[in-house]
Amino acid sequence: MAEEQKKGERKKRRTATEAASSIGPMVKESIGGTIRAKQEGKKLAYSFIVCSYDEIIRAMDVVPVWTENYAGVCGAKRDAERFLERAESLGFSRSLCTYALCGLGFDQWREELGEMPPDAPWGGQARPDMMLSSGQILCDPRNKWYQAAQQYMPDVPIYDVALPYPLYEDDIEVADVADYYIKYIVEELRGLVIFLEKQTGKKMDWDRLSELVDLGEKTWNLIWETYELRRAVPTPMGTGDAMNTMVPMVFMLGTQEGYDFYVGLNKELKEKIARKEGVIQDEKYRLLWGGGLPSWFALTDFNYFNSKGAVFPVETTYRMIEPIYKLNIPETNDPIERLAWRWLGYWTYWYDKAKKRPGSEPDVERLIQYIEDYKIDGVVMHEAFSCRTWHLGLIWQLNQLKKIYKPIPILILGKDEKKKVEKRELPSLILESDIIDISSYSEVDTRNRIDAFIETLESVAKNKGT
Amino acid sequence: MSEYFAGIDIGSTMTKVVIMNKGIISSIIGPTGPEQRRLANKVMDRALKEVDLPFKAITYIVATGYGRINVPFADKQITEITCHAKGVAHFFPETKTIIDIGGQDCKGISINSGRPIDFVMNDKCAAGTGRFLEIIADALGINIEEMGEIGLEGNNPAKISNICTVFAEQEVVARLAEGVPLKDLVAGILESLANRISRMVNRLKVANEVVITGGGAKNVGLVNALSDKLGYSTTVPSEPLLTGAVGAALLGKDIVQKAIKNGLPLERKERSLKEIEIL
Repeated sequence: MAEEQKKGERKKRRTATEAASSIGPMVKESIGGTIRAKQEGKKLAYSFIVCSYDEIIRAMDVVPVWTENYAGVCGAKRDAERFLERAESLGFSRSLCTYALCGLGFDQWREELGEMPPDAPWGGQARPDMMLSSGQILCDPRNKWYQAAQQYMPDVPIYDVALPYPLYEDDIEVADVADYYIKYIVEELRGLVIFLEKQTGKKMDWDRLSELVDLGEKTWNLIWETYELRRAVPTPMGTGDAMNTMVPMVFMLGTQEGYDFYVGLNKELKEKIARKEGVIQDEKYRLLWGGGLPSWFALTDFNYFNSKGAVFPVETTYRMIEPIYKLNIPETNDPIERLAWRWLGYWTYWYDKAKKRPGSEPDVERLIQYIEDYKIDGVVMHEAFSCRTWHLGLIWQLNQLKKIYKPIPILILGKDEKKKVEKRELPSLILESDIIDISSYSEVDTRNRIDAFIETLESVAKNKGT
Repeated sequence: MSEYFAGIDIGSTMTKVVIMNKGIISSIIGPTGPEQRRLANKVMDRALKEVDLPFKAITYIVATGYGRINVPFADKQITEITCHAKGVAHFFPETKTIIDIGGQDCKGISINSGRPIDFVMNDKCAAGTGRFLEIIADALGINIEEMGEIGLEGNNPAKISNICTVFAEQEVVARLAEGVPLKDLVAGILESLANRISRMVNRLKVANEVVITGGGAKNVGLVNALSDKLGYSTTVPSEPLLTGAVGAALLGKDIVQKAIKNGLPLERKERSLKEIEIL
């Protein structure tokens, strides 16, 4: 039978949107495209997402090979274990970033064989001509991963882009130090252009770069506008789908294909809203995915939430924070400066809000904004053991939230200036596993926690009514 | 005519059944084995025989615990978080925090009016659970039931630095070989376990009254150590293993009463204890 599943092949996850279901083939084609590009003699660069150099490499016709993406694909296909084990046997600790471990295991195997490892997911990860690190202060693999990979590819040069931003301190104004940071980031990005010119033997076309930055910003704003549509009740798209629709956001910024994808998604969501068609029709609970990368091998957990009447209209993971015009980017015709300001604006957007609430932090302010804007009933986070950068501090953030959303009646002043009592409880759930290491995951335990969380939401709703 | 409600709690280590009408009329506690479905039948059968009730006399049955899906005759499955909250509040209505120390997991539950409002769980690691005590008791060659009393006698608790159960076992054996008195070693072990549990539970807003349930609650040394760590006095029910099953039975009663009040149909499973084939 044509529909019969191949032995060992997992059933495709059910998505709410057509756009999300189109992502799998898109990623497959993109990975295949890098292998074809290699055969055609194009220059390939190992690259990191949220790197701020998307448009620069596109303008130089360098083909990005998104190494985090390939590790995620291996995880989603539940075929990362053999690469993780290989990295471990090479002496890397299993507690390091499992994206990096998967990539290192794969690279070493490919270099040893002189060809792709057997049955490499979606044809394998192409050998790069260069590697572009992208440090963002907190994530050490973004500097160290490619340095480690160079052991197996000593002929492949690395350019390490350092992209700092001022860490939050409530007595420091970003505006006071911004120029210093911008100057530094601009130098780093100009250095990258010089490196790419050397590697490709081509000169940068600055007009083309400006056009691509325009396109990137246009796409950025469209993504924000499109995701904001998810405020609708019932929400037309949940976080499960957003973990797919992030692909053009982080892997195709500055491309027409990326922009067109969100035009399509925007149209689809508007149509669904007009038809009042939601992820589930009878939304009982609206949840915020408040932090952490997902377990790529267990995205069906989002469907499990849906089966219990819970939807995720919003997430902090893979989301443009606010439209470009809100990021206070000064007028400039220099595309490199625009990229630098965009970077700084992205990381410091919630700083001012945090200052207005003593004891708060920018990450907490972002959660509060989404909780209020999207009428959120509970927060779910994922602690992935191997990602210290992203997952450190999640419990602290929840503790800060509990100070605001208290399980006791609080007196508030309503819009009509009348005092009223309100309970603003906000239950939370922390899932524990990893991004791609499936050995850290138990479906039974995870779903037991989800069941208990749903019952907690139910009892909180009942308590509100008493 | 009296109505009877049953709660069955299949935990990772022990299976508990209670039958209630106005109060508990029958209760059974037995070890959970690999054949959970067969055991569910067996313990229910024993509980019924204890009070000479036919199975069809039970109005509603709620199953809870990790094995709750393996109870073919249960009318509804509810997680142990909700059931513990209900059961504990039945005995101690002012309860705000529950710490359930089970055989292979540990939970903290914040409750309000008998309903859970937040929870934390450790189901990833034996450290912080009853399994930790079992392994250490084995290594020390003492009975697990004796541990609490022995620990209370230790005035100078030994420092156990390993978090991992396996390495802690090695450390305990090594400390014993060094000549550390057994009572101090046991006191140190209980303190170490209390540390781990309190670290997890402190992720909740702990508030009085604090009730400890599960097999760990039977260990008086652990309860004392935990009270010290948390800075709260704690209460232990007379039978701390049964609160989940009691809560399950009470929730069943609520479901029936709500259905009657709202004129809603009540879905129930067939009342038969069929032999289950185990593959």
